[in-house]
Amino acid sequence: MQESGQRGERPKLKDLVVEASRALARLDTGRLEELALSCQALNRDLVLGDLGETNRETRAVLGAESKEAVGEMAVFARVLEATRANLHVMNRLRELREGRLEYGLPHRQPWRPTESGHGDN
Amino acid sequence: MGTINAALGIISGALDADQQALNVVANNVANANTPGYTEEKPDWQQNQPLTIGGVSYGQGVTETGATSQRDRVLEERLNQQQQLASASGSRLTALNTLQALFTPDSGSSSSRAGDIGSDITNFFDSFSSLEANPTDNALRQNVLSTSGTLAGDISNAAASLNSQRAALDQETAGVTSQVNALTGAIAQLNQQIMTNSPTGDAGTLEDQRQQDLSQLSQLIGINQITTENNGLAITTTSGQLLLSEGTSYQLSTGMVNGVTDFFLGGTDITSQLALGGGSLGGDLTARDGDIPSALHSLDQLAYSISTSVNARNNAGTTLDGYTGSAANPVYIFSQPAVVAGSAAAMSVVMTDPNDVAAAGAGDGTGNNSNAAAMAAMANQGIVNGQTPTNYYSNFVTTLGATVSTVQTENTAQNASVTQLQTQNDALSGVNLNDEASAMTTLERSYQAASQVFAMLNTIMASAMNIGEQTTVS
Repeated sequence: MQESGQRGERPKLKDLVVEASRALARLDTGRLEELALSCQALNRDLVLGDLGETNRETRAVLGAESKEAVGEMAVFARVLEATRANLHVMNRLRELREGRLEYGLPHRQPWRPTESGHGDN
Repeated sequence: MGTINAALGIISGALDADQQALNVVANNVANANTPGYTEEKPDWQQNQPLTIGGVSYGQGVTETGATSQRDRVLEERLNQQQQLASASGSRLTALNTLQALFTPDSGSSSSRAGDIGSDITNFFDSFSSLEANPTDNALRQNVLSTSGTLAGDISNAAASLNSQRAALDQETAGVTSQVNALTGAIAQLNQQIMTNSPTGDAGTLEDQRQQDLSQLSQLIGINQITTENNGLAITTTSGQLLLSEGTSYQLSTGMVNGVTDFFLGGTDITSQLALGGGSLGGDLTARDGDIPSALHSLDQLAYSISTSVNARNNAGTTLDGYTGSAANPVYIFSQPAVVAGSAAAMSVVMTDPNDVAAAGAGDGTGNNSNAAAMAAMANQGIVNGQTPTNYYSNFVTTLGATVSTVQTENTAQNASVTQLQTQNDALSGVNLNDEASAMTTLERSYQAASQVFAMLNTIMASAMNIGEQTTVS
């Protein structure tokens, strides 16, 4: 993945989404955080870039790439949803093991997933 | 001297405990590569303190045994996800084969199922050509030729679907013996576990049982119910009892309407197994759902084209001046009586190109009105209210959408299995990571992935001008 600020060959959106799904399946936190930075840089370039011809061209290319990546985004959304379910199960298990779910002992609020922001809620 | 003896007792107790703990560690290391082995951790018990002159002296610890670090709830969730992943995986394999059958192959010169769309166009176009010159023998011959290609490709596609269904049927029947072997083995393990470890963890016996359960989960959908004394009962996901503690109930098969059905205690549970999960569930869904559905679509297409075209040809006048009747019809295709089986039986029965009724009834033999009417059928809703081309196109599109949906599900389920496996390894495997760090990894990954997803969504929306252009920090 390209470092923020560098100019060079940009990965296609479709490849980026596939890579994110794979990294999430492997729970490769480091890779996901790298991808988040890349997306941040890409988004910044897109929004803050000049409104000249280059930016319009980039936007057009990204528009076409976005249409191509719709299927991969659906897969990513599903993997994210499965991860959230797993996280929920693991947190409930941890609470069970720690005896926090005993009746009459409301030590703390049970764990709830945070807003995922991926649009499935 | 009591104090010195007690002190020595503490030291020797600690040494003994250390030695036993070392044995447990050695056992873990020796089994590091044993599939399904669950890490054991030594259990320490504090000895009763010794009180001298009102002062308590600690008596050290004694190792009382080893407990496997497992979590049945997590293992059960892992098994459930494996059932789903296996089901969608085997269904996807079948669907990919199905889709490949209907994919046009531009490199192939021979006619095939993937060309049915262009076959339909060519068939109706041949009537348009004939319309321009209704007495031309070559154009009449072309009508028979395109009819033959269309009928051949549809009937070959139906034959391929039936072959695929038969192969899947054979595959599903083979699963029965594997399921029975596994339920038998689990019942035996249950017996041993209930006898030897009714209250504690059964160590390697439990490992074996979990491995068998994992394998069983890949074959069929199951529910696990813990019984007394560490026993286990297993049912199908719809509740039929497969085994209870030391007794297993054998699955049997029998032929029903030409396919293998599955029975448990005399009850046909095929449809429940199809919905239940595991590779058997996926294969049965393809065998009894996806393939028959595709076959039905082809049957409908073949039936509608054959009956509509035959009726129109029978109503016109042949080049020899003959108009068909109910008793002596002039048909191009074999006339199907019912929709079912129409695709497999589709063939061209007309041999003489002069029998193509290009002229309308009562018109001269050089007339073209009936050829024009047959060409116009290409744009009429003769197949369930749709044009033949649209009907076929919708069928292929629907099939593609199904493949895509199942592919998505399968990818997500496999990802979920990988994640749970990682968590399970951290908890029960011979692994340096502990549970807490595994949880942190899961949480951090989820948060980072959520960020990636949100930003990609924004970028895409912005690039496609669907939504407002906004920054995501």
